Parts: sequence; structure tokens; C-alpha cells
Amino acid sequence: MQYMALIYSDETEWASLSPEQREEIYGRYGALSRAAEEAGVMAGGNELAPTRDATTVRVRADETLVTDGPYAEVKEALGGYFLFECGTIHEALDWAARIPAAEHGAIEVRPVHVNPAEVQL
Amino acid sequence: MKYALLIYGDDSAWVDLPDEERAALRAAEMPKWVALFEELRKADPSVSGSELSGRNTAKVVRVRDGERIVTDGPFAETKEIVGGVFRIELPDLDEAIRLAALIPAAHGSGAIEIRPVVQ
Repeated sequence: MQYMALIYSDETEWASLSPEQREEIYGRYGALSRAAEEAGVMAGGNELAPTRDATTVRVRADETLVTDGPYAEVKEALGGYFLFECGTIHEALDWAARIPAAEHGAIEVRPVHVNPAEVQL
Repeated sequence: MKYALLIYGDDSAWVDLPDEERAALRAAEMPKWVALFEELRKADPSVSGSELSGRNTAKVVRVRDGERIVTDGPFAETKEIVGGVFRIELPDLDEAIRLAALIPAAHGSGAIEIRPVVQ
């Protein structure tokens, strides 16, 4: 089963880091991705641009309303995610705990819904 | 540019439904989603999507001073939470906005947050 590990952390902390500190953290993410690939659990992942680059779209009464910024202004924003292929949520939590942002932010783990009878994308 | 289309909605009423009612509601909604998938594939044949299970299946893990803390429930305490993500390669933001507005969850009380993916 696939699990999505949603990475929530304080964007202002990231913005305050030096290039060397960011490189060190990217290195840790790279190492985690490689370890997950070697273990056969890596199913994908993306880093998202910061929320200041977000655009939010709503449709109300057939009218499309577009606003700049994220859906919700929060201190700890969604910054990316991993997809892990694991047998149980406990195994997925083990991998999620290895994500560097778990040490200062929070990682939400959710099973990916798959119904073989339905059309998938 | 690669974009993530994050689907925000209130799933609280949905997760509390009896399984049969939820399945019936889902089946009724499905044609709209299948039409959307066709539209997304036209824009990018390699588009992919992940639908997340409801808030009652969520767990949050934090590591503080080397110790792991796991809590039940989603991270956000808001009514609307992320319910799914599409990943799609598009020429520009205008096209992302056009497609986001076609997502059934953008109608009603939900919203779609578009975020560029860092390559």
C-alpha cells in the first residue's frame, strides 16, 4: 500500500538558513531518498515552492475565483511530500520519522486510497 | 513547469457516513472525476494523482530530542484538509488555473491550491 508523508514546517526557518545549511539538509533528503529506493519503498515525492508562490482557485456559482497565496495562512506550511510503498502504516511512520523536517516540523502520514474497480489517474 | 494541485475539502461529513452511503455517493460523483482525468491527460499524458484516505486514517509523527512522538488525526485542525494531489506538467499558471477550476472539489465548499514543484 502507498502512504503519503506530508511535510509541514516553518517556511521562515528555511528562509533564514545559509546556503551551506540548506545544502546539508538537501544532502540528508537525498540520503533518505536513496535509502528508501534501496529498501524498495520509494514511490515518489516532490518539493513544493513556498506558499508565497501559491495560487488558490475556488468555483462558486459557476464563477472561478482566483487568489494569490495558499489556501490557509499557517505557521507551518505543507512544503512537500514523499510517497512510500509499505506493508503497514507503522512501517510508513518509521520512514516518515527519518525525514529531516520531523525534527522541527511535523510529518502527516495518510494511506493513499486505491479502488481497483475505479478509473485511476 | 510542473505543478502540484492540492485539493482542500471538508471530509468530516464524508468519513462519518456508513460505508454503503459513502460508496453510493462516490459512485454518483465518479463520472465527473473520470471526465476530469480525461481533460488532465489531454494537457499532460504523464499526469498522476494520489487520493488520500480520510482524516480518521491520518497519523502525525514528530521527532524531538531523538524521541519519536506519534499522534492520531491530521496535522491541521481546520475543517478543510488536503484530500489529494495531482502532479502535472503545464505551460503556465493560466492553464493550471483553468484545470484547477474543473476539479469537482473546487466547487461547493472546497478549494484547489496550485504550487509549482521545485525541480
